[in-house]
Amino acid sequence: MRATRCKESFKRLALALVVGGAIIGVSGGAWADEFGSVEPIEVDAKKAELGKRLFFDKRLSGDVALSCATCHIPDKGFGDGLALSKAYPGSEGFRNTPTLINVAHKGTWFHDGRLGTNLNDVTREMLTETYLMNMDMRLMQERLKQDPVYVQMFDEAGYGEPSNGSVRKAIPEYLKTLTSRNAPVDTGTMSDAAQNGLDLFTGKAGCVACHSGPLYTDEKPHNIGVPENPEIWNDPRRHITFATFGIFMGIENYMNIRRDPGAHVRTHKADGTDIGKFMTPTLRELKQTAPYMHNGTVATLAEVVAFYNDGGGADPNKDPLIKPLGLSREEQADLVAFLEALSGDALTGPEHVWGEKIPANYEPIDNWVEVRN
Amino acid sequence: MKMAMTTSVRLIALLAAGMLLGLGTAIGAEDNPPLAALGPPPVPADNPMTPEKVELGKLLFFDTRLSGDASVSCATCHEPKQGWGFSNDISRGYPGTLHWRNSQTLINSAYYGKLFWVGAAKSLEGQGPAAAKGAVAGNGEADMMEVRLGFIPEYRERFREVFGDHWPKLSNAWKAIAAFERTLVQTDTPFDRYMNGEEGALTDQQKSGLELFQGKANCIECHNGALLSDQKFYNLGVPRAERWEQEGLAQITFRYEQYAKGVTEEMYRTIKDDAGLYYRTKQKADKGKFRTPSLRYTIYSAPYMHNGTFWDLFEVVEFYNEGGGENEFASTKTDIIKPLDLSDEEIEDLVAFLESLSGDEITMSTPTLPPYAPLPAQ
Repeated sequence: MRATRCKESFKRLALALVVGGAIIGVSGGAWADEFGSVEPIEVDAKKAELGKRLFFDKRLSGDVALSCATCHIPDKGFGDGLALSKAYPGSEGFRNTPTLINVAHKGTWFHDGRLGTNLNDVTREMLTETYLMNMDMRLMQERLKQDPVYVQMFDEAGYGEPSNGSVRKAIPEYLKTLTSRNAPVDTGTMSDAAQNGLDLFTGKAGCVACHSGPLYTDEKPHNIGVPENPEIWNDPRRHITFATFGIFMGIENYMNIRRDPGAHVRTHKADGTDIGKFMTPTLRELKQTAPYMHNGTVATLAEVVAFYNDGGGADPNKDPLIKPLGLSREEQADLVAFLEALSGDALTGPEHVWGEKIPANYEPIDNWVEVRN
Repeated sequence: MKMAMTTSVRLIALLAAGMLLGLGTAIGAEDNPPLAALGPPPVPADNPMTPEKVELGKLLFFDTRLSGDASVSCATCHEPKQGWGFSNDISRGYPGTLHWRNSQTLINSAYYGKLFWVGAAKSLEGQGPAAAKGAVAGNGEADMMEVRLGFIPEYRERFREVFGDHWPKLSNAWKAIAAFERTLVQTDTPFDRYMNGEEGALTDQQKSGLELFQGKANCIECHNGALLSDQKFYNLGVPRAERWEQEGLAQITFRYEQYAKGVTEEMYRTIKDDAGLYYRTKQKADKGKFRTPSLRYTIYSAPYMHNGTFWDLFEVVEFYNEGGGENEFASTKTDIIKPLDLSDEEIEDLVAFLESLSGDEITMSTPTLPPYAPLPAQ
């Protein structure tokens, strides 16, 4: 499905480029072959609407303290603006919250890429993980059945009565609506600086080696030597979360290591050469989603570019692709301008944000003794 | 042949016992273990008591980090000031939830062979983790709770000293808590002193109550032995909790429990009361049965019954006097429960006796808990 869709959009894009190129000039024409825009995904409106309400409902967490939107905030590009994410009460996170914009266009999720199946599984992981939403989904199901609004919405969406299985379908349906819109790179309205930046991106700076395709990611793990965020090891609540995750993922020596192993949890190479690899992130919507890197240690895009210009950080397993780039200050600024041109509209309108109040309490079911559960 | 001999031996023993007790008392109660003063609790061989272990267990008992969101501890639902239980019909639950049964006192829990209202845990060591992990109780996750303990320097030291753990093991936390709970016993009630020969420990009214207890009221049929519990399971016809009809949060937990305990879909759709022992055995004959609770420490542990439906001991005795009640599991109601025809005075006597089964209130203040600290690199 995805392949077909991409192919079609590619054709459309190519056509648009011919037209667009005629208007804005052809200096940036080369990128047409490299990338492509992200196309809206067709959704079932009722399922997506249900998923939207669920996404903003705190009753989907164990102690009803957080919803998906607590960390994936629409105003912040569906990230949270923090270096390291929050976590379930009593815990703190040890990685940066990734944006959910275009999340349904991906094939691999989490900074370590540990899920490569579908958003149904991702949703389950987020809901049930003890340091995330810590939700017993059997209890979640019964909470939903207690809310007449959900009973109606699940039914109208064709799911029958509320169930945890349907939650894991409806939320992904909503996530499909989170597609980038009107980024200058897609609308053909990039500045000259951004155009120069694009040339550097695909040329001298070599970014395209990993940041390719419509999402500007190869969806593969790489080690670029991002330094550790000391906050993880200095704050017991973050370190505890990391160590717990370490147990879940079969990380050896989880109480003693002070290095996030990244994609090693997936590939478990005996020689450890996969330690410190993290998935190439999308470069779309960066303007909304600072700070950067899997552990939020880089605050601005200028610093990100400077980091690469210096040849990344120090790590024995660093990817050989990462080398000093010798970019001038102007070139670095142009590259930042291009990166900024990959950000589109904020998805903060009613189409993407549940606007009505969601009740925190539950009404009793009338005539409870007589009706079926 | 052997059978016949055994029966006749037993008959002789019964006759002898009847002569000792005085003929006419405790009809039908001859086989019941006699009431007795409470001795020290049994201690499992694989979890011996030491003062250091008990002290560690006390800290852990009050430590909220042994729950999902680090907001509830064992003491949250087994609050010393609330009779080491929770003073409402249905216990509070994990934040955002309500429980679905009454929280039992921990005093003398050391004497039960199995824990929880339907004996779902085989030991105190097994009760703690079950409560700490349940979605409407502690909602904790074992690995995270264990890791948290490792980030508390004082616990690292104490677990090393008590258990020899390099890193604190969660299984040992439950052992320490169980050891602490085995110190929560009361063996010096007026009743115990009376049974130990202190004639004046019970008032005349309480002595009359004791006689009714073993005689006309036949309480001893189930409330026997030193614990005043046979630890068996019965349906008395206790009516369903009213809150299930009245509160959305209660209805959620009610259905959740059916789902989580694995009943058939038809049962999930139609059941409107707590099926008790059935969830463990899946035998229809066990529907609505709950374990006979000890009657000790009851003046501090109101309300009563598995769903806390009775708020004082008079209500309980009146319930029995009327021959119990009715619930949707009528076919499993025990035959033992019959109208008792007790007079008001007899009811008062019986309650007075029940009150002699509690001594002084056992109080304890929350200890200062050791903090987390960053973990130095090894």
